[in-house]
Amino acid sequence: MGQTTDIQTVIRVLPCFEQKVIVPNGPIRTASGDSLAFHALRMYLSNVVFYKNGMAVFTEKDSHHLLDIEEPGTLDLQFSIPANLIYDEIAFDVGIDSLTHALGAMGGDLDPTKGMFWGWQGGYINIKIEGFYSKCITRKHEFQFHLGGYLPPFPTLQSVRLAVPLNSKTPLIMLELSPFLAQIDWSHDPNIMAPCLVAKVFSKIIAQSFQIHAQ
Amino acid sequence: MRNSHLGGISLILLVFWLVCTAQMRQSGDPIVLTHPASWPKPQYEFSKNPLTRQGIELGRRLFYDPILSRDSTISCASCHLSFTAFAHVDHTLSHGIENRIGTRNALVLSNLAWSTYFMWDGAVQHLDFQALAPIAHPLEMDFSIEKVVQRLNETKRYPMRFFQAFGDSTATGAAVLKALAQFELTLVSANAKYDRVKAGLDAFSDQEQNGYRLFQQNCASCHAEPLFTHGSFEQNGLPIDTGLNDYGRVRISQNPADTLKFKVPTLRNIEFSYPYMHDGRFRKLRDVINYYAETNALKQKIELTPNEKIDLLAFLFTLTDRDFLFNPTFGFPMD
Repeated sequence: MGQTTDIQTVIRVLPCFEQKVIVPNGPIRTASGDSLAFHALRMYLSNVVFYKNGMAVFTEKDSHHLLDIEEPGTLDLQFSIPANLIYDEIAFDVGIDSLTHALGAMGGDLDPTKGMFWGWQGGYINIKIEGFYSKCITRKHEFQFHLGGYLPPFPTLQSVRLAVPLNSKTPLIMLELSPFLAQIDWSHDPNIMAPCLVAKVFSKIIAQSFQIHAQ
Repeated sequence: MRNSHLGGISLILLVFWLVCTAQMRQSGDPIVLTHPASWPKPQYEFSKNPLTRQGIELGRRLFYDPILSRDSTISCASCHLSFTAFAHVDHTLSHGIENRIGTRNALVLSNLAWSTYFMWDGAVQHLDFQALAPIAHPLEMDFSIEKVVQRLNETKRYPMRFFQAFGDSTATGAAVLKALAQFELTLVSANAKYDRVKAGLDAFSDQEQNGYRLFQQNCASCHAEPLFTHGSFEQNGLPIDTGLNDYGRVRISQNPADTLKFKVPTLRNIEFSYPYMHDGRFRKLRDVINYYAETNALKQKIELTPNEKIDLLAFLFTLTDRDFLFNPTFGFPMD
């Protein structure tokens, strides 16, 4: 009596470039005629909250999702939510917050074996983007962006809040990476391997690149 | 009806299995870390990694097992020897596989539950994660936690120990790190003469007492009692070793004010944890005292007469904890 059953709902996150879905190592011809491919694209989404009229109506417990384009199933975020839940916004963090760092070694998606933890920098790598871009001046035109760090002065955790379109039962979240790559000065070595100001700036750009679509 | 009965039995079995599983996960024998009542509260959150006899023993075995290194030749103990307060007296700098030489002196491992920063530059902020650094460093173990876990799961000797410690025979990165942390947390040094004097069970000699006075006047602001470190970073005026070009904390904080700052090490068991400083440049404790007393290394020069230097040394020797240094439960597992 009075109880609501939970249902499984899936929110898909689709990383794309110029609206083309990114697949691992899949060649992309950019609008400017350059060649591009993503060898790796992994990131943490955490602290997922559903809102209705500005009020939190569902907060996921132990909310940490490691998205990895090499494991397409990880792009489908699964939530067990009340069947009658109505929401008009979804919020999440891109990365792992400082409170979670303070908990010590964790399992599941947070297990340090996932390759998303810096041994010598002390913290999770929030976003890992690696690939090939013909504009990149590095050896083999390869780039590596490992964006992370949770301590001042360069905390990289970013919050995202997206309005859910009306009548959208399974929203689709697109992550459009073209604005991010457009910000990079490819005439210099663009690689990032440690917490720094640029990592903080790039993390913010990526967080602003999520868009939500009705399905 | 029959299906209903079967469903009921299944539910009972499921509940029984869940209860058993929960009990297995808590089946380790709890261990409570003890320390002098006058000490501050530990920084480590024990509720996130409760100490158990089985978890500590697993951690000890991992600590002494070269399986953690790429070519299975180097263990944690290779650079952290129990008889020398888990420091490395044979080398100024730590060494790794294939005779590779590192860039820093191996730090003492003791009283780690009270630490918030690890490594000379504080690159690691939680004890659980500390072991990742030497495992991955190319000049130390040159391996990865992923491969360590894979290798451990292929052994015959470890699955049962992981099961006993964590209720699951499959090693994971988190379980490996938590076990190592559990063992390291037990490395408490709190029974030196200094501690017995503080507890009213012993007394300093006149020389030691004078050394203690000099220590409090000149050293205690950084090497704060009772842990003999304030746990933060200081620039002690050492000229940079141009062969290493190690600028310390600034590499992590990227704050220019942190240039040449290094973590203040504990002075507990300092008698046995030579060589000294982040690059091991001083082999003798008297060389360290002479450095502070005869140079303008510090903002406020330490003025010491020859006799006072000896008195200060005498006090520092009261920080030697032989029960810690020769504790068999910290040593190599013989069976």
